[in-house]
Amino acid sequence: MPTIKIPSPLRYYTNSLAEVQVRGETVTEAMDDFIAQYPALRQHLFNGKGELRPFVNLYLDKEDIRHLHGLDTPLKEGDRLMIVPSIAGGTGEVDHSALRTNQAFIIGLNLVAFILDATWLAALVAFLMAVGTALKIPAFGFIYRRGLKPLGWIKPDLRKDNPEPHRFAQGFGAVVLVGGVLALSAGATALGWALVWLVIALAALNLFAGFCAGCAVYYWLNRLDVPGFVKAPPEGTFPGMRPK
Amino acid sequence: MTTLEIPGIILSQIHAYGERAYPEEGAGLLLGKVNEGNKRVVSILSLPNAREDIARHNRYLFSPQEYLLGESEAERLGLELIGVFHSHPDHPNRPSEFDRQWAWPSFSYLITSVQTRRAVESRAWRLAEDRSQFEEEQILVRD
Repeated sequence: MPTIKIPSPLRYYTNSLAEVQVRGETVTEAMDDFIAQYPALRQHLFNGKGELRPFVNLYLDKEDIRHLHGLDTPLKEGDRLMIVPSIAGGTGEVDHSALRTNQAFIIGLNLVAFILDATWLAALVAFLMAVGTALKIPAFGFIYRRGLKPLGWIKPDLRKDNPEPHRFAQGFGAVVLVGGVLALSAGATALGWALVWLVIALAALNLFAGFCAGCAVYYWLNRLDVPGFVKAPPEGTFPGMRPK
Repeated sequence: MTTLEIPGIILSQIHAYGERAYPEEGAGLLLGKVNEGNKRVVSILSLPNAREDIARHNRYLFSPQEYLLGESEAERLGLELIGVFHSHPDHPNRPSEFDRQWAWPSFSYLITSVQTRRAVESRAWRLAEDRSQFEEEQILVRD
């Protein structure tokens, strides 16, 4: 008979047994028999549709059954099927005060760049936005984290949200701004400032109206199943809008 | 209410770990003994946060391999894995919805709120049997 190896958090249900013998010629049959012996475990291992929960991994010897034939993987006499937890958690929230501080600085510095006709300043903002995107933080978030928040001038605004679309939006803004700086450097003044103003306008739309155009593009790419765009909008939120 | 007994020195280590990890989440495993649902922490194991950098700021994840490391370390010490500790940077020490969805039954979840690099307070939680919510556990700090 195959054996199922039980991880610590489930031994509470198996009378502290670390291994349980089961009947079955496939992983499904073995798990069915296991659940029949310990019915209280069903809800913790399977969702309502009878699929394995995402944090439950089954290993046959050292191989994840997802890389074999999934639940249909055949079992032989003496096989050891190991239940291995993925342990995860966290807040799943994003501090929108950090994002808004970032938008305010992007708008303000680009406006100053336009007024002073200072291409270098727009280039500096583009550079910082690119670095922020690479470091996966808002470019000017440090001003909020190190200054405005500790001083109590701006309170945290924690919302259920995904950080990825905001990073994408910042990266998108950086690319547009780099385009603007290149155009300005090449003497295409009108095009250059138009691109800078596009970045200002999109950051302002986000800051004042709570709509993140870059995030909307991210979620749209997610709907098209484009690889790398894994997050869907928070429940009940229009794609790109600031979550409630 | 079940209890989670923890030596003061280990709780301080967990707080220091959360402070070092700030603004990311710092997490690890609790090793110890269980007696009729009440747990006693004897040792901790902090593990690298395996989640791709992209989500580290508000998520943590231990891969199956890291979990198995914890399991064998517990076995070596004659202990059991009894739970998980993690920090919530600039967030309260209540479990999030994501914490609940991913929670393992019978485990203690010790959550430390770290506000601007300072560990403020820890609370312990355990998933209700029907997975609908967390129930708080009483933390008993021992010398």
